Amino acid sequence: MDSILKDVATSTRPSGDAAGGELFDSLRLELRRGCLVLAVLAQLHVEHYGYTLRKSLADAGLEIEESTLYPLLRRLETQGLLTSEWREEEKRKKRFYRLSVEGERIFELLLAEWNRINDSIGRIVRKER
Amino acid sequence: MELLKRYLQAVGEHLPRRGREDTLAELRANLESEIEGREEELGRALTESELAAVLEAHGMPVLVASRYGAQHFLIGPTLFPVYWYTLKRSFPLVVLAYAVVQLVSIFLGSGSADDIGHQIGTVFGRFPGVALTFWGIMTLGFAAFEYGQGRFFPKLTLPRWSVRDLPPLERSEGKKHSFANGVADLIVSILIVVWLLAVPDHPYLIVGPGAKILHGMPFELTPEWHVFYWQILGLLIAMIPLKAMALVPSMCRVRGWLQLAVSALGVMILVAMVQMRTFFVAGSAVSMESLHSIEGINAGITLGFKLALAVSLVKFAWDLWKEISTGEHRRADYAAVL
Repeated sequence: MDSILKDVATSTRPSGDAAGGELFDSLRLELRRGCLVLAVLAQLHVEHYGYTLRKSLADAGLEIEESTLYPLLRRLETQGLLTSEWREEEKRKKRFYRLSVEGERIFELLLAEWNRINDSIGRIVRKER
Repeated sequence: MELLKRYLQAVGEHLPRRGREDTLAELRANLESEIEGREEELGRALTESELAAVLEAHGMPVLVASRYGAQHFLIGPTLFPVYWYTLKRSFPLVVLAYAVVQLVSIFLGSGSADDIGHQIGTVFGRFPGVALTFWGIMTLGFAAFEYGQGRFFPKLTLPRWSVRDLPPLERSEGKKHSFANGVADLIVSILIVVWLLAVPDHPYLIVGPGAKILHGMPFELTPEWHVFYWQILGLLIAMIPLKAMALVPSMCRVRGWLQLAVSALGVMILVAMVQMRTFFVAGSAVSMESLHSIEGINAGITLGFKLALAVSLVKFAWDLWKEISTGEHRRADYAAVL
């Protein structure tokens, strides 16, 4: 799983921002959108609340804005891929998320798709070179 | 922490009422953790500027709240092409309907030329409002459909289609059929018919104020005009349904033949004009010189119509040949596909 996140992080690291300009930013955003869902689902095999999830993704090299991540968690929960519960931790109530059974199933399918795409892109890029 | 409370209050103002408290509580917990994390890194409490920077980095309240909304569009990506297509297709029809209704009302209630000018100005002035109303109603209707699908009725599914139902291949030569041009042509045809119908009661419509000058002329229109007037009018009226039919998408296969039928009616109008031969006759107290002039004018007009008829016949024959050969090509292409 860590290798997947590293792949995502490497492919989406904003090192080319200055060179790519607006078009690159737009295409990068599009590319990241699907990857973020996969990364969030992967990371929620272990229970997290919003802030710690963001930190763990950032530690793996995948920075996500809070204003993107927190609504995404809500959406994934509404879609039945996550479950959540309010619990007190360090004297503060927090909402903890983790993968649901359906989330596990969808994650496996998405991961297989991701690997297929990754392999294909790898083959295509190698052929180009 | 007053800044945090103010920030949450601002976000809350834009959140949907349902689930607002829950969302704000979660956001507060996450932001407080974020602030604590920064404080741990620095080993001290955040200053007001640093706290403001954390909240500003989180995003503008209205944008943050909007991301929690279930739907961020009036018309979604699946429905939008249908909406846009409907709008494009129906707008020329709105122009047509508006033009016809306004023309009929002007015709029925027409007075002097000044009145008509004023009424036409009013018609043009009102049109932007009509167009905006049409656009608003269409957009609201589609937005309501978008909102309702999945909630009150099943989601829109694209209909089954076959490549064989698509319109035949356009020939590369010649102009491509344009729906807007077709509508414009139909409007002009209706205008001409309305104008011709109005002419007997309002002769000034022929040349405007110049009609007064014609009264002083030593010649007048031949009585034959009464017969040919109705023939020409009948042929022009017969063109209207043909032109309207050519606009119907399901008629695209016979559009060429419909246009040929319209051309044939045009040729018949010219035939009627050529048959007339005498367009003007001498009035009372006419000189010999004027009689020669009238004769010359009649001959000139007849010659003009004869030339126009010859050109029209050649063009009609050319179009007919093209339509027949195109039909054969289409059948050949279809056979090749099969």
